[in-house]
Formats: sequence, structure tokens, C-alpha cells
Amino acid sequence: MNELLNFSEDELLAIGLSFRVAFWCAVFILPPSVFLSWCLARKQFRGKSIVEGFLNLPLVLPPVATGFILLLLLGTNGLIGKYLNEWFGIKLAFSFYAAVIASMVVSFPLAIRAIRLSIEMVDPGYEEAAKTLGANSLQTFIRVTLPLALPGIISGFVLAFARSLGEFGATIIFAGNISGETQTIPLALFNEIQVPGHETAAFRLLLVAVVFSFAAMSFSEILVKKLHHRK
Amino acid sequence: MHALSARLKVQKGNFSLDVEVNFLKGITGIFGPSGSGKTTLMHLISGLENPDEGHIEIDDSLILDTSKNWNLKSRKRKIGYVFQEGRLFPHMTVQKNLLFGSVYADNDQQIIHFDEVVDLLEIRELLEKRPKSLSGGEKQRVAIGRALLSAPKLLLMDEPFSSLDVALRRQIIPYLIRINKKLGMPMLVVSHDLPDLLSLTQELFLLRNGSVEGHGNYFDLIQSEKSLDIMRGAGLMNVIPFKVELHDVENGLTHLINRDASHEIHVERELINDCCKVGDELNVSLRPEDIAITLNEISDISIRNQLKGKITKIIKKENRTYCLVDVGFLLIVSITQASQQKMNLDVGTEVYCLFKSMALQINL
Repeated sequence: MNELLNFSEDELLAIGLSFRVAFWCAVFILPPSVFLSWCLARKQFRGKSIVEGFLNLPLVLPPVATGFILLLLLGTNGLIGKYLNEWFGIKLAFSFYAAVIASMVVSFPLAIRAIRLSIEMVDPGYEEAAKTLGANSLQTFIRVTLPLALPGIISGFVLAFARSLGEFGATIIFAGNISGETQTIPLALFNEIQVPGHETAAFRLLLVAVVFSFAAMSFSEILVKKLHHRK
Repeated sequence: MHALSARLKVQKGNFSLDVEVNFLKGITGIFGPSGSGKTTLMHLISGLENPDEGHIEIDDSLILDTSKNWNLKSRKRKIGYVFQEGRLFPHMTVQKNLLFGSVYADNDQQIIHFDEVVDLLEIRELLEKRPKSLSGGEKQRVAIGRALLSAPKLLLMDEPFSSLDVALRRQIIPYLIRINKKLGMPMLVVSHDLPDLLSLTQELFLLRNGSVEGHGNYFDLIQSEKSLDIMRGAGLMNVIPFKVELHDVENGLTHLINRDASHEIHVERELINDCCKVGDELNVSLRPEDIAITLNEISDISIRNQLKGKITKIIKKENRTYCLVDVGFLLIVSITQASQQKMNLDVGTEVYCLFKSMALQINL
């Protein structure tokens, strides 16, 4: 039993890193997903299905492929990455930021799904009422839509966080597997499984992954229930 | 001067609305069956929907003119909209709901203070509550208060009675009348319930299939067969303004007298609930079916109210006959065709209109 709690320095590093990556991923993803969710829930525009399809792509695309696309776009010699490097000296690939970006891309559709649903559940009648009372679109959004959709938005945050904790394929391609910098729990787990005799270490990481993913999903479910209850 | 004048045209699928309306200050009722375009009209006036063609002026300031590409947004129109279901923000207390719109109105535009609204609508004890815990009538009052505090020039009310229980329905009416008297604010009240609407106002617009089928005073409207036809299905009603003359405590009756003092009718006192003083003015409503017609005054009968008059018009609809009887004021009486034929009733016939005191409803 002791062995199961006896985390090595590398493992603690991986756990800490995972949480940092997951946290920043969820934080950065929130504003654009709230905005896009609102557009998708409330606005009708040409090419809406194409935008929806594009946003959902990371959900079905193999994460390894997503990572490869990121590498092609943002890698040091990539389509955009080249200029980032030449003009600003920014190298994204194989860094902590790359791990965050890889997580963001794969969590994006999940966050949008949760937030969009919660915005769709807000009765547009309340928004109409706010407008007749003198509020403009932004004021209506901040004072009415946002607070009413809040459980769904938190749920989106938690889902993005959880998805990031479990991210493997895109991260290993775009961010690599560098201990202390990009080696998150799944990557560390992958390493341990590769090495004969490291089953206990692998099991320790497995437990951490199961416990936190379960906690995050339960929390998200509770929020969804709250949203339904409110309605 | 008109408080609001509008010309509006819109096509929505199979439904088309094409109306020209001019509302005076005071309370105007908009009546029509379901699907006649009442809510669409409200939405167009408030800017929640846009017409294909239209022109709206409130107090002589231009709100909308499609020919000039002029279209003020909803939030800038200064029109208070009280929605059917209230639409109070569920995440805010009553107080926050009430104050929602006041931050967008300049102080000098405010027509009424927060405390006045709270007292007028008797909602002080609700201020800290959430909308969820309010009754239908309370929600409605808060919604009215919220609209008033956004400093509107005009108040629209969509079916203010329909979300309330029958017993509570008319309780909202005194509040509306009080607001109208105090603020002189023009109010448009939409309803498909004619008796409810009539207890609030006699100034009506009739809407059917997206067009205006008549407008004016109710008693002028019922004389037109087309208007009568629209209103018939919703329950016609006599609404008569009276003044309290005296309380006959001994016999449990209150004597009411009509405005030009030509006729006196008696009402059982308990109906008035001790709420009226001598000299108070009130509206009494009476269903056309609750009035009987006789050719002679009947002395040995328990019915106290017997008003003498002359038939001015007879309108036959299916198996009913509607007689308009001038008894000093107009009464509409509904009888069967058989009775009409048997009694040989015709325009000009002198008759007595009989009704029990119990059949009278008092609207304050």
C-alpha cells in the first residue's frame, strides 16, 4: 500500500505539470468558447454548419493527427511558426506552451458543446426583456445570459480541464515527452509502461488519472443537473 | 395628439399583418382571437420584430420609418413591455429585477421613483425574494414595476390576465388603473378575454386575421354587426359606470346611480366588500345572458332591478338574438330567437330589462 503512495520526483513533476497545463488550457479556452458558443446558439449565419463541423473536427480526428497539424502550422518551420520564430523569436513546439495549445485544441469542441447547450437553455425571452428595458447586446449578455448559463460554463471549464489531463496523442507529437516541461501524467504513464519492472509506478499514475478524471466528470454532471433544475 | 400612431405591414409565412393604429393617451384594449396578430403587433411596436414596411411615432417622435431606413432599436424606443409570463430574471431578487432598466435611463427621464413604484404596486415585502417564490399576481406586479422604472413613454401589456388564476385576474386591474391615473401613461393592453379587458377599458381595437376590424368605444362597436361578431365568441359584457349613492345597511344593499342620475340600480352590499364610499365611481359588469326582457314592469317578483327602455337595434346571430336597449345608457341583452318572436320584439318596442343584484360584478 505504501508503495502506491510513494511517488517519485519525476512522477510528482508530471502530476504538477499536468495540472498546470490543464488549468491554463481551461482558462485560455473559456473566452473564445463562450463567444463561439453564443454565436452558434443565438446567431444564424451562412456556413454555420461548416464552422460547426470544423470546430468539432478534433473530436473525431486522431489526436496524433491533430498534433501533426499543429506541428505543421506552429512548428519552428511551420506555416505560422516560421514567422513567429523569425519576427518575434517565439518557438512554440516542444515547450510547455505547446502542451497547453495541444490540450486546448482537443478540448475545444467539448467546452463548446457544454457551453452552447447551456446558452441554448437560457430562454431568449429573458434577453428580449432585457432589451426592452434598455440593455444593449453586450449588457444583456453579461447581466442576463452569462449568469443564467453559468453552470454550463463552469461545466465547460471542468470538461476542458479533464480532457487536458487525459491528453496524449497531440501532446506527444507537438510538445514531445520532456520530463518537467511537457511530460504530463499520460506521457509519464506511457514511459513507465514501456519499462519492464515499473508496473507499480505505472499503477500509481493510473490511480491518479482515474481519481481526478472521475472527480472532474462528476462535478461536471452535478453542474449540468443544476442547470436543468434551474430551468 | 396621438400617443402612438403606427402603420405596419409584415408577412410571416401564411400570416400577414397589415394595420394602421392610432392610440390615445389612457388605456386602450387590443382584442382579438388567438392568432389574430396581437402579439405580433406588440412585438413590432416594441422593436422585437421588424416589419416589412412601417412607420411608428410616439408622442410625435419618430421611432420607425422603413421608407427612410430609420429603425430605432428596442432598447432605445422607451417602451415598457410587460410580458405575458412576466419574464422576471430568475437569478436576481425582486429588487434587482426592478432596478434592471433604471441604470439605462437618465435620472431626469424617470417618471416615477423606486419607492413610489414599490408602494403603488404593494410589493415592498417581496423585494428580497426570488421570482421563483412569487405567485402569478406578484410576478405580474413586479414585471409592471420593472417596466415603469425603465422610464418608458408607453406601456405595452401582453395578456396581463391570462397567467393568473380566475380569482386573481381582476386583482391586477386596480393597479393598472392607478398607474394610468397617476402617471397619465398611455397603455396598450392585449387580451383575448373580453370581459377582463372591458373591466379595464372601453376603448378597444379589434383585430382579426392580421387586420384592424374596428376601433373605438365598446358601445359604439357592438352596434356594428362585424365587430359584434368578433367579440361575441369571447363573452360579451355590459360595463356600466356608476356612482355610489348610499349604503342601505338595514337591507344590505348599496344604491348605485348612473352618471347622469337618470336611473338607479340596486346592488347587494356584500358584493362591494365595504370598499366604496358614497360618491365613489365604479364600473359594474353584467352579462347579456343575465338580463331578462319583459314588456311590462313586474311588481310581485324578487328581482329588484327593472330598467325601462326602448330597443334600438336587433342583431340575429345563429340562434341568439342580441337586443340593444337604451335604458338611459345602452344595454346589450341576449335572448333566444324564440323569445323574440313570441314577444314580438322589434326596434322601437318599449321593454323592461330585469336582472338580479347578484348578477352584477363590481370592477374597481
